[in-house]
Amino acid sequence: MTSSADYARYDDERLISLIAQLQAGALDQLYDRYHRPIFSLALMIVGDRATAEEITLDVFMRVWQKAGSYRADQARVSTWLTHIARHHAIDVLRRRAVRLDQSALSWDEITPGAPLPAQNPGELAEQSLRRERIHAAIARLPADQKQALMLAYFGGYTQTQIAEALKQPLGTIKTRLRLAMQKLRDFLHDEQEPGDKSAQAVNTYNMSEED
Amino acid sequence: MFDETHVSDLLPAYALGSLDADEASHVEEHLLSCWICRNESNAFQTVAEQLSLATPAASPSPDLKDRLLQRVQTARPQQPVLAQAARRSWPERLLPVWGLASLGLIIALAAFNLSLWQRLNQLEFVTAPGGMRAIPLSATDDVSGATGFVLVAADGRNGALVVDGLPPLDADRQYQLWLIRDGQRTSGAVFSTDEESYGGMRIKVAGSLLEYSAVGITIEPAGGSPQPTGVKVLGGPLFNP
Repeated sequence: MTSSADYARYDDERLISLIAQLQAGALDQLYDRYHRPIFSLALMIVGDRATAEEITLDVFMRVWQKAGSYRADQARVSTWLTHIARHHAIDVLRRRAVRLDQSALSWDEITPGAPLPAQNPGELAEQSLRRERIHAAIARLPADQKQALMLAYFGGYTQTQIAEALKQPLGTIKTRLRLAMQKLRDFLHDEQEPGDKSAQAVNTYNMSEED
Repeated sequence: MFDETHVSDLLPAYALGSLDADEASHVEEHLLSCWICRNESNAFQTVAEQLSLATPAASPSPDLKDRLLQRVQTARPQQPVLAQAARRSWPERLLPVWGLASLGLIIALAAFNLSLWQRLNQLEFVTAPGGMRAIPLSATDDVSGATGFVLVAADGRNGALVVDGLPPLDADRQYQLWLIRDGQRTSGAVFSTDEESYGGMRIKVAGSLLEYSAVGITIEPAGGSPQPTGVKVLGGPLFNP
């Protein structure tokens, strides 16, 4: 019989394959690794702890029910979980049909976030580095670009909705988002070490989706 | 509405999911055939992915894991993935969709051997003996894990859609299949999925399916829309007419 210590030694992909075989111990271990970043992301989007906890539960229940559909050649497990969590949280936000509150979200209130799970010190160091990079990149953006980016990514709002809420021309919002993303891309590219596995994994995922 | 030049200006917002539906559809269609924009899109997708790292630290209630495990215990029993395939084969799942009139095509499909399914899972375009084709669809970010296939008879006059992993919608909404040709979208089916997130239906379209270059599935008001208005969930290229 597999013990919790055994599960702790397995990598993420192995855990997913065991979850697909309905081994609850594997789900238990995956939860230990990822519940904090998933909850943090959900909380950032929906803004209240009770709903964020429900979203966190839904994400892991979906993993329990759909682990068989996970494809390691398309995305890392962490990427897969982040996709599920973000889209589910934004869907909850849309169902509430709340008016866009431009003051509810602000990059300036964000401090370096919850530590991601790591299976070894090297991975932990790499994750810390990636978090520092993205924070440094965002800090360089002008305030109006940060605001548009925040509303688009964490608010799930379209450019049209952002323009209406901020009472700005649509073209202005499009320009802010485009410039913000281009600057982040350029900054992260310059900072990225050759052979960064995380970037490669995401690229592979997107290529596969679109092919 | 759109010209046929590159869509570079739209790609940053596309990566953020902040384009309006018609713009997003235009980008997706363009990316199918443009590797330059696809590479650029990948770079922006990587940036968007990293934004999730910029969240403030937070932890849920300590009892949340117990609630999860309790929910797992009380959830409707699932079949392990290996047993699931044996429980209901794809030909069996297709039978109610096509009906007796299409039985010949189903038999042709059933004649595929195990390698067919393996090849489908590798997202290859598969042509069966006799010319019947099975074309896999790709899920968008909104429904990661969903799968689907368009099955087209050799002459293109008959076809069916099979989807799995698309959650059932509320009573006010349905899924709608769009056939795309020269940038124009024609409705091919309006459908719902069952409690197992599975659905299948015959594609109804004037002329031949071979004339269409791509398909997409969106969420629309119940009964369908004249043109796509909702979120795209599945899509992919068809033919080069």
